[in-house]
Amino acid sequence: MSDLDVREQLLQGTAPGEGLAIELVGDGDLVTADMSLSIGPAHPATHGVFRVVFEMDGERILRAKPVIGYMHRGFEKLAEYRDYRQIMALVNRHDWLSGFSNELGVALAVEQMLEMEVPERAQWIRMLMAEWNRILNHLMFIGSFALELGAITPMFYAFREREDIQHLMESATGGRLHFTYNQVGGVKIDLPRGFLAESARVSKLTRSRMPDYDDLVLGNEIFRGRTVDIGPLPTDVALSLGVTGPALHATGLAEDSRVTEPYLKYGDIDVEVPVGRNGDAYDRFAVLLGRIRVSLDIIDQIHDHMTSGPVNQKLPKMVKAPEGATYVRTENPLGQLGYWLESDGGRTPWRLKMRTPSFSNVQAIPYLVQGQLLPDAISILGSVFFVVGDIDR
Amino acid sequence: MSVLARRDRALTPEETEALLRDRLGDGIIGSTLAHRMFTVHVAPSAWVDTFTRCRDEPLLDFDLFDTLHGVDAREDGFDVVAILYSTSTGNRLCLRTRCEGGRDTPVCPSLNDVYRGANWMERETWDMFGIEFPGHPALEPRILTVENFEGWPLRKDFHLASRVAKPWPGVKEPAELDEDGNVIERVPGIGDAPGPYVLDEAMAAQAIALRQVSAAIDAAAGNEAAVASAEPTVSDATMPEASAPASGTAASTDPAAAADAARTADEQRRAQAEARARKAAERAADETPEEQA
Repeated sequence: MSDLDVREQLLQGTAPGEGLAIELVGDGDLVTADMSLSIGPAHPATHGVFRVVFEMDGERILRAKPVIGYMHRGFEKLAEYRDYRQIMALVNRHDWLSGFSNELGVALAVEQMLEMEVPERAQWIRMLMAEWNRILNHLMFIGSFALELGAITPMFYAFREREDIQHLMESATGGRLHFTYNQVGGVKIDLPRGFLAESARVSKLTRSRMPDYDDLVLGNEIFRGRTVDIGPLPTDVALSLGVTGPALHATGLAEDSRVTEPYLKYGDIDVEVPVGRNGDAYDRFAVLLGRIRVSLDIIDQIHDHMTSGPVNQKLPKMVKAPEGATYVRTENPLGQLGYWLESDGGRTPWRLKMRTPSFSNVQAIPYLVQGQLLPDAISILGSVFFVVGDIDR
Repeated sequence: MSVLARRDRALTPEETEALLRDRLGDGIIGSTLAHRMFTVHVAPSAWVDTFTRCRDEPLLDFDLFDTLHGVDAREDGFDVVAILYSTSTGNRLCLRTRCEGGRDTPVCPSLNDVYRGANWMERETWDMFGIEFPGHPALEPRILTVENFEGWPLRKDFHLASRVAKPWPGVKEPAELDEDGNVIERVPGIGDAPGPYVLDEAMAAQAIALRQVSAAIDAAAGNEAAVASAEPTVSDATMPEASAPASGTAASTDPAAAADAARTADEQRRAQAEARARKAAERAADETPEEQA
């Protein structure tokens, strides 16, 4: 009898097979007292200062209450005291694993307010960087999720790839984490000489290493045992909660801003959206791996489409957005990132609301862990990919 | 993928508004289409009904609850803005309402029973703006700020504490203009704008001591010109040093007094900058004839 069969029986609440000395408590006749178990704010399974209080009946979770706000830095207030160029350096910090994609959202919002045309080359460069940034982010989560489930090796593999990509992005932007490469009207500076050749080389190298992750993680029996059918999420619940990104795609719905509301030049290229079947932890992870492959495909297409020309626009001394409000949604690595920008015509925004994917996705945790066993909660927490700075802002 | 295939079912903004008006009557106040965003203004009494319609009406089918947040609407109070998206038609709809109760007791009905995602969004809006959502299971404890935090941080009458205690450290002030509407420019120097912390004061004192030491060294070397230019700088710098700790402590007790203190410190700083520029010009004038001789 394999571990998987035992797990299935445990989940169905039936008695385990003969010869195995496992006794179910909690749901059985044994009288147990509910107890409360607090995980975090500093716990290895939470990627930062994030706390969940579980109400337990034995090993089974009755209710979960996430407690957030430990990293609240008031970005929305700070943005009201900065002009549009300074905001770029501010927004690449709330989700520190996707700095470039965050900047991109604000740049697009201000350009949409100004009805500004961005040079074609700048749009391709932005796409190229956004996709590299997406791969950086996903590699991090592939490593950390496997680490939470007890596998240390994938983390080392992920960081091997991350180093190459960070080196590549650093050569163009000067930053490894906080790029501040976008500006209103384009990007700060053109790509260095030989960048595209190097980008093609890293793309080929990363693609050749992707099967390693399939072999190491996806095909691993322990990994499958801890993720298959754990924490399934139905599509309608996900949408009602505002869950987007890999967690939504895992439920089987291919709702991706790059396809459904193409921004930049995404309309000109083919973007495939990998989807899962029932939205469990395994599907969420598989979607994440699939998205890396899609990003590599996109990067190869961008290399073919890259044009020459200017990379930014000459800006007036002071950028002022006209009066009014707009909302721009981009497909960030962790889900859909929306910036609501309301301006009174001044140099600073009147209101900049950050609709961050992590905030909405974490809201699904109480739903996901209800009725699950405690060890599975770790697998669920890790598979709802979030960055604490992105939740608390 | 079936997502794009059903795009042709999407209603235009006009049709959306007409449909909502037909279902909700006077609850729909008006609409705007600007900056590629379609906004429908809703009366607070029809707020929940509008969302129920948007979700359940097959032609609208807004299934993704995107976001909900507050906006400061100056003397009129506060607005609540929510954005919905339909994964089947690809339409996005922005709904906006003005809270009842003005600035003192803003109230907006809760959407918690319509969309699950409204729960945390409304808690955040209450935390940031103090807008009450009747019908919400539990707005408390505060979701992002600490539990015993006082005040509503995103209201415009809530001033950013760090900016009251300490002016913008850069040359150009981004958020404010002077009385004539010009950009405020400052020449920042070490120890010019000590913050509310003990360490800042210590650093300022250190910077001043360093300047005195270098002036003394220059004097010992017999460089008379350097002494002449260094001495006024020392006296200039000691002046704000005496007043700066006072402004730092005042900031933590009384915001109005702190603002005053910040303003006087500002003037001092500007006077300093002018004096420094004058000195530099004098020095340049002094040095040129010597070189010629």
